[in-house]
Amino acid sequence: MRLTVNGRVHDVTVRDDETLLELLRERLALTGTKLTCDRGECGACTVQLDDATVYSCLTLAVACDGAAVRTVEGLAPPGTLSPLQQAFIAHDAAQCGYCTPGQLVAAQALLDRNASPTEEEIRAAMSGNLCRCGTYPKIVTAIRAAAGTESGTAEETIRGA
Amino acid sequence: MARKPKAGGFVPTVVEVEGRTETRIVEVPAFEPAPWTDQASLHIVGTNVPRMDAAEKVTGRARYTADIERPGMLHAYILRSTVPRGAVRTFDAAAARAMPGVFDILGPGDAPAKTRLFHRDITYAGQPVAAVCATTLREARAAAHAIVVEYDTLPFAVTFADAVAPDAPSVRPAGNTPAVSPLVIARGDVDAGLQAADVVITREYRTPVQLHTALEPHGAACEWDGDRLTVWESTQGIFRVRADVARALDVPQSNVRVIKDYMGGGFGAKNGAGAHTYVAALLARRTARAVRCLNDREAEQLDSGNRPATVQRVTLGAKKNGTLTAIRLSADVPLGISGWEGGPAQIYHEMYACPNVRSEERFAYVNTSGMQAFRGPGYVEGAFGLESAMNELARELTLDPLALRKKNFAKKDPRQGRPYSGNALLECYEKAASAFGWPPAVDGSPLTVNRQPLTRSSSTPTRTALGRGLACQVWPTGGGPPSYANVRINNDASIDVLAGTQDLGTGSRTVLSQIAAEALGANIAHVRAVIGDTQSLPYAGNSWGSMTTASVGPAVRMAAEDARRQLFDAAAAMLGTTPDTLESRDSRIVVRDTDRSMTFAEVTGKLGNVMIQGKGSRGPNPAGVAINTFGVQMAEVEVDLDTGVVRVLRIVAAHDAGRIINPALAESQMQGGILQGMGYALFEERIVDARFGVALNTSMHDYKIPTMADVPEMTILWADGADSTANHTGARGIAEPPVIPTAPAIAAAVADAIGAVVREIPLTPWRVLGALAAP
Repeated sequence: MRLTVNGRVHDVTVRDDETLLELLRERLALTGTKLTCDRGECGACTVQLDDATVYSCLTLAVACDGAAVRTVEGLAPPGTLSPLQQAFIAHDAAQCGYCTPGQLVAAQALLDRNASPTEEEIRAAMSGNLCRCGTYPKIVTAIRAAAGTESGTAEETIRGA
Repeated sequence: MARKPKAGGFVPTVVEVEGRTETRIVEVPAFEPAPWTDQASLHIVGTNVPRMDAAEKVTGRARYTADIERPGMLHAYILRSTVPRGAVRTFDAAAARAMPGVFDILGPGDAPAKTRLFHRDITYAGQPVAAVCATTLREARAAAHAIVVEYDTLPFAVTFADAVAPDAPSVRPAGNTPAVSPLVIARGDVDAGLQAADVVITREYRTPVQLHTALEPHGAACEWDGDRLTVWESTQGIFRVRADVARALDVPQSNVRVIKDYMGGGFGAKNGAGAHTYVAALLARRTARAVRCLNDREAEQLDSGNRPATVQRVTLGAKKNGTLTAIRLSADVPLGISGWEGGPAQIYHEMYACPNVRSEERFAYVNTSGMQAFRGPGYVEGAFGLESAMNELARELTLDPLALRKKNFAKKDPRQGRPYSGNALLECYEKAASAFGWPPAVDGSPLTVNRQPLTRSSSTPTRTALGRGLACQVWPTGGGPPSYANVRINNDASIDVLAGTQDLGTGSRTVLSQIAAEALGANIAHVRAVIGDTQSLPYAGNSWGSMTTASVGPAVRMAAEDARRQLFDAAAAMLGTTPDTLESRDSRIVVRDTDRSMTFAEVTGKLGNVMIQGKGSRGPNPAGVAINTFGVQMAEVEVDLDTGVVRVLRIVAAHDAGRIINPALAESQMQGGILQGMGYALFEERIVDARFGVALNTSMHDYKIPTMADVPEMTILWADGADSTANHTGARGIAEPPVIPTAPAIAAAVADAIGAVVREIPLTPWRVLGALAAP
């Protein structure tokens, strides 16, 4: 099968029981996407599949033939940070960071379909992505900052990519 | 006040770890820097330096234990008991061994005794019975489930009552209760105190088993190189894991290297090596391959520790004016199959100035997985009992619950009469009250009919009620020795801060870098904290008990001061002056009152490969002083009177933790702690089917933690001022305090809303409706 991941085309042979998450992490070494619940309950494995936001732990790899996948590693070219990633840094929207890749992909997908979401829309769109550190308020702030719906600008960050 | 010990030599010092007091013999540092008082002019400490590993986290580059890959690495899966008590009668792994990808299987009798793995005797459902390693995790799991295990089952006890019954089954061979049980702590005369009281209330409160539910499960990857073992482990204590593994496998500690770079949450459950560690290490040795063993989510929720349940019978006696005359607690705590006696009593003795306090805690082992420390262990459970009772007492006395707290403010440690290193709880009360609007205006009934709850999209009118409540906390946060740090200035003036601690997501990398940069007068962008490796870094203790900043921070500061002294010595010679005329800021050394200066890089460039290395250690704690973090939280809730659903609208938290090194990171941690406390108050409860002795809700769907949709408005406030008595950075800990008062504050707000008290958490809809329906 052939799929495009973060703009790069991959020809791979997959097992029929292989998940998209396994394909990404184990074959393509894209370990930013995390395995946490393995049953679509937590959102840590969230990736973008064409126009949909999916749990990659529940998505069979074979079903992705011909599809385009975007993971956290594809949010910005290597060595750079997207506005959303910069906002996550500026607003301290990652504590342990384990859920962060899934949060970012879900948030970017939200911004792609709704450039200026309200706080309620953010909460609704993001409530499938669990964070045990409880970073939610900072994530909301970061998304609003990236969307330009938060007053004030993202602070200068000390460390870039 | 503290007596300054003489530098050099060893002295005893007292360290409080999560409510347990330990006396340690520690060396006295060569010098102790003068404390950073409120008057100290600080430029980096106290500012919102962005989290220094945030770029790694937002790009997916941060490597967690679950991401560790080694050439030829195998994956291990642990098969667990499906029965709570019995014995493995037959164990047949022949078919499993023949399955594709399988390399090795460990079963009963295959592990060294000190690992305590794979006993034939089963004492809880979820106990490891066997482990399989295979080329892929999928193959390992499939083979593990192909192992045929038959059990002779035995009667079991999964409740406190069953474990202490006269005819109780044997939960543990040495007895169903630990030797310390019942644990009685008392001061004064509670009976006399109750006789002297104008009002006495007795209430019973119940708290559930709460599961840590870190997103990254417990796990380890192990690889042997001859007789040397490297362990990548998701842990709060790399040196403890090293000690555990060395002891269990009977190898020298110097042959074991433990690495923890990033971890996906700990919250108290990742304080040592576990079954996954030993399985990975043993299978790696037997197969001569690297082996990774991670809990799957079910194992993580089933057998990686928990906050034990409690039943607390509380009696309070008070004068009409609110002065407490007696506090009595009688508590039952089922610990699971193992654990330490982290009961709810401590906060009853520490929160208020009451002369007569008596607690009796009864602990029992039961046939469920063992407890582990969970963020604020004991105090979180105890606060629900004590603070709920205080709120009920206030109602009984028709006193404002905040006035009742002020009336019983402890000017010194009520347990031992020690002065506090600092206590701004009264300031916290004022700040929280002002921000929240306490006492709430008495506006008749708080019932608001036909108000739309924020979450409901349906247009059906609903009946909701608003309520407000508060609760307080105290938590020992002094930290202490031993902890060491080195600071290295490289010849391009980049700076390495080396400390064998770990960052759980708390921000230790950033906070320690800030302390080093401040002490050196360095540009923070040139400073990098190197942590999480036992082989190359000096010892630091576990990251638990809100202790890391107050324990490691002073060691880092001392190492940085030592490095700066050496740098100034070198610079003084180059600038033709004496070191005492120099000061530094932003990595530039200036001769005071002149325009002569050199950058750090100019000095180190001239030094070439002469490396400046500062050494620091954490000195003893001040003697005879109580070091605590204090706080109060106020909650506003909305209760749907038809469905019983509680929604928390806002929380105001005001805490006194001395100096806050990084307010933005501290705020994140407070918000997270409040949300974990909110989960405890509203949703979280492990449910065990008492008929079968097995846990029912071992997934994240069935065990509910808060989501973004549940988040209330949160206001985080701090008392002003550094605590320069506690240690020379002026900082105390903050990790655990926000969890402690959250549940009782929410419960009080719910009681205010519905006019009935629910004394058992979580405050599920059916419990709320039950209280509403009660006569």
